[in-house]
Amino acid sequence: MKAVEKLSESIFDKLSIDFLRNQVLKNAYGNNDTVIAGLDPRILLVWYLFFGIVPWFVSDVTFLLGCFVLVAVTTLMAHVAGLILFLFGLGVFTQTGYLLIVTLLFGGDATAVAPLLVLTLKVATVSLASVTVFSGMDPDKLANGLMWYGCPERLSFSISYAYRMLPILMEEFQNILLSYRLRGNPPEHETLMGKIKYLIYQLKVIIHSFYPLMLNTAKRSRTTVEVLEIKGYRYAAINKDVKKIKLASLQVTNNDLLFLSLSFLWVAVTVLLSTLI
Amino acid sequence: MNAIEINNLTYCYPGCERPTLKNITVSIEKGDFLAIVGNNGCGKSTFCKTLNGLIPQFISGDFQGSVVACGLDTQEADVGTLARKVGYVYQDFENQIIRPTVLDDASYACLNYAMPDYVQRGMTALEQCGLSGKKDDFIWQLSGGQAHLLALAGALALGPDVLILDEPIAQLDPRHADTIYDLLREFNEKHGKTIIVIEHHTEYIADYCKHVMLLRDGELAWVLPAHEALTRVDELQASSIFPPQATIAAHRMKKLGALDEKTPLPITVEEGAQVFKLRENAPGPAKTESRASLLEAASFHDVQVSYRSVKGEPHVVFKNLNLTINKGDKVALIGSNGAGKSTLMKMMVGLLKPQKGDVKLGGESIRDVKPEALSRRISMVYQNPEDMFIKDSIGGDIAYAMEVRKVEGSAARTDELLERFRLTELRERDGRLLSGGQMRRASLAIGVALNPGILLLDEPTANLDIATRKEIMRTLEDMKDITETAVIATHDMQLVCEWAERIIVLCGGEVVADGTRDEIFGNADVIKKVGIRSPEIFSLGQAIDKDALCYTIDEFLERFEGRTNA
Repeated sequence: MKAVEKLSESIFDKLSIDFLRNQVLKNAYGNNDTVIAGLDPRILLVWYLFFGIVPWFVSDVTFLLGCFVLVAVTTLMAHVAGLILFLFGLGVFTQTGYLLIVTLLFGGDATAVAPLLVLTLKVATVSLASVTVFSGMDPDKLANGLMWYGCPERLSFSISYAYRMLPILMEEFQNILLSYRLRGNPPEHETLMGKIKYLIYQLKVIIHSFYPLMLNTAKRSRTTVEVLEIKGYRYAAINKDVKKIKLASLQVTNNDLLFLSLSFLWVAVTVLLSTLI
Repeated sequence: MNAIEINNLTYCYPGCERPTLKNITVSIEKGDFLAIVGNNGCGKSTFCKTLNGLIPQFISGDFQGSVVACGLDTQEADVGTLARKVGYVYQDFENQIIRPTVLDDASYACLNYAMPDYVQRGMTALEQCGLSGKKDDFIWQLSGGQAHLLALAGALALGPDVLILDEPIAQLDPRHADTIYDLLREFNEKHGKTIIVIEHHTEYIADYCKHVMLLRDGELAWVLPAHEALTRVDELQASSIFPPQATIAAHRMKKLGALDEKTPLPITVEEGAQVFKLRENAPGPAKTESRASLLEAASFHDVQVSYRSVKGEPHVVFKNLNLTINKGDKVALIGSNGAGKSTLMKMMVGLLKPQKGDVKLGGESIRDVKPEALSRRISMVYQNPEDMFIKDSIGGDIAYAMEVRKVEGSAARTDELLERFRLTELRERDGRLLSGGQMRRASLAIGVALNPGILLLDEPTANLDIATRKEIMRTLEDMKDITETAVIATHDMQLVCEWAERIIVLCGGEVVADGTRDEIFGNADVIKKVGIRSPEIFSLGQAIDKDALCYTIDEFLERFEGRTNA
């Protein structure tokens, strides 16, 4: 009952759209003064390539633990927004974590726990590495990094434009939900039955909001499309010079090299440890 | 040399039967400051979009004749080349901003056109627009006025010879409106840029523009010097354009025979002061009395409220707000953009809870009351009518709040409201597809559906042309007897003067003045501090006689007459 109550209260109140919007913005742009955000996106992408792929193919617990500690530290350094960390925790738990706990509760021994621990570690390491890279860097830097590696300009534009549109979409969504709040008549939610009804009501409202949301956003983006044309977005996509100018801002600094070598050193030590144990 | 030369332009949107622009031949001189006027749907925006090649290159359709902008034929030169010659600022400028940070957005177009000095160009444009201190800010930290300046900077960065602005001041408070026009004048005079504005506010045309072009149903009526254009009172009014109030007053005075036929009509306050004088037997200034009772409708007690911000400290809107609104009050809430007008309204309907202090409705705290439970007592109409449309027809929208509450006779009341707000024929239409005035009327009907005792209106006349605005003002006047207590947040001082019985001035999170219109507009300190632009007729009255308090042209005509030797 507690859970239902929590959930039913949360959609409108605790997890208000305003809060979500704030967290998304914070995540994208609010942490651009951290060490991680100052790194060169190309270096970070290489780094990510290692920590995003290698853990899947290694099952050595020491090595995985080492990697996990490292990415946990980088996540802290990136000042990732609370909501993202919460989602990360929830994600890992629903993937494998709950199996681990259940196994422990029902008397599973080391032979049962070990493989689950390994899997959980793998998932957690890879996710934290992604969190570090994709939410520690601001979207434009990420887009530039991807472009350097030859991703089409359209992809990198989409990334930064999506971040631009997201707050607008959420604002519209919030306004429509507010209209439902002001004019709607939700069921009483004192009893358990009421709470469940209230939850269903809220879900219905969210579904109904979709139609006005899309129409309002479409109406607003008519101007944006024309402006993109005027501001030469189409020219930039086919002009090699523009790409050069954009990428000229990328620069590998001592910090980048230090970051890479420290990560390398740390991995080397864990590999050494794992062969010793 | 001419900046724009148009020859026999006829244009028809794809799928339309009748052409939007008909047979237009005109040339606009380099260095002109031109205002384009005309009623809604007469093709003003369409005309401007032919100047930068968006029509016919991006928006197709049937295009005949020729448009040459800065020596480039718009049918041959590509949009990119034209964009560097002709800059465009949209009416809904917030959708024109594409990049997340200020400098980024200002230099974005230059980057796309591969200009190596793109950052410098963006920076220069920001400096010209007075935004250089904000260069690293995120665009959602900007106020409405600053966002408009950024949109202007983005167009300016490309170094265009011609700048087009579609209703630049429709959403701005008077102080920002003055800033924008002062800037435009500077670009025009110092940098020799040709400025073209679509503008309804004739008092700004009188102060700033050199020429006026009147479009009537897609045809060019005339292009005249501003002074001559604004004095063609009958022609302008036939196109639902209202000349400056000084001009209308003089025009009416001539008809009444109180002003010499030969006197040229004044278009500004200064000119007006030369033309009019106080009547000898003028009635003493009429005092405005408040009719409100002393019963409390809503009140704020030591309220503190702040918003989360993306970075750093939360933004405090109100620190310690105390305010009581009585039953029967007709309150106008005024103050610059961001003074907290919308925040105050959101607190009253329970959408926003203060961090400290208490908000009461009818003496009872609403801290623990859900907004749904308040909707019979208080209702709010948003600034953007689109956000009120949650159903796919306005009939459905008006009925919604009554139907979900199973109010008896809701169908009959819906019909009655549709009738009252002249929406009966439109009841099956989606609200978003209506015209500005219809949309606004529909949102008002939705707001009063539950017959609330208190009605809150956020900027009910923003973004409307003057004719539609007059219509909404009439509707608001009609509504006075439906709702007991009403609060309007607005920048529209004519609305304030004609409608409100009590005026509350917000500035920097505090109530700096509160009283009748005489007490507010008669108080020069407050007017100056908050940056209120009094209605022109009021300033004109004061310029002639310091004690005069005229809010409407009728009141003005009662007190003043023409000078015989003017």
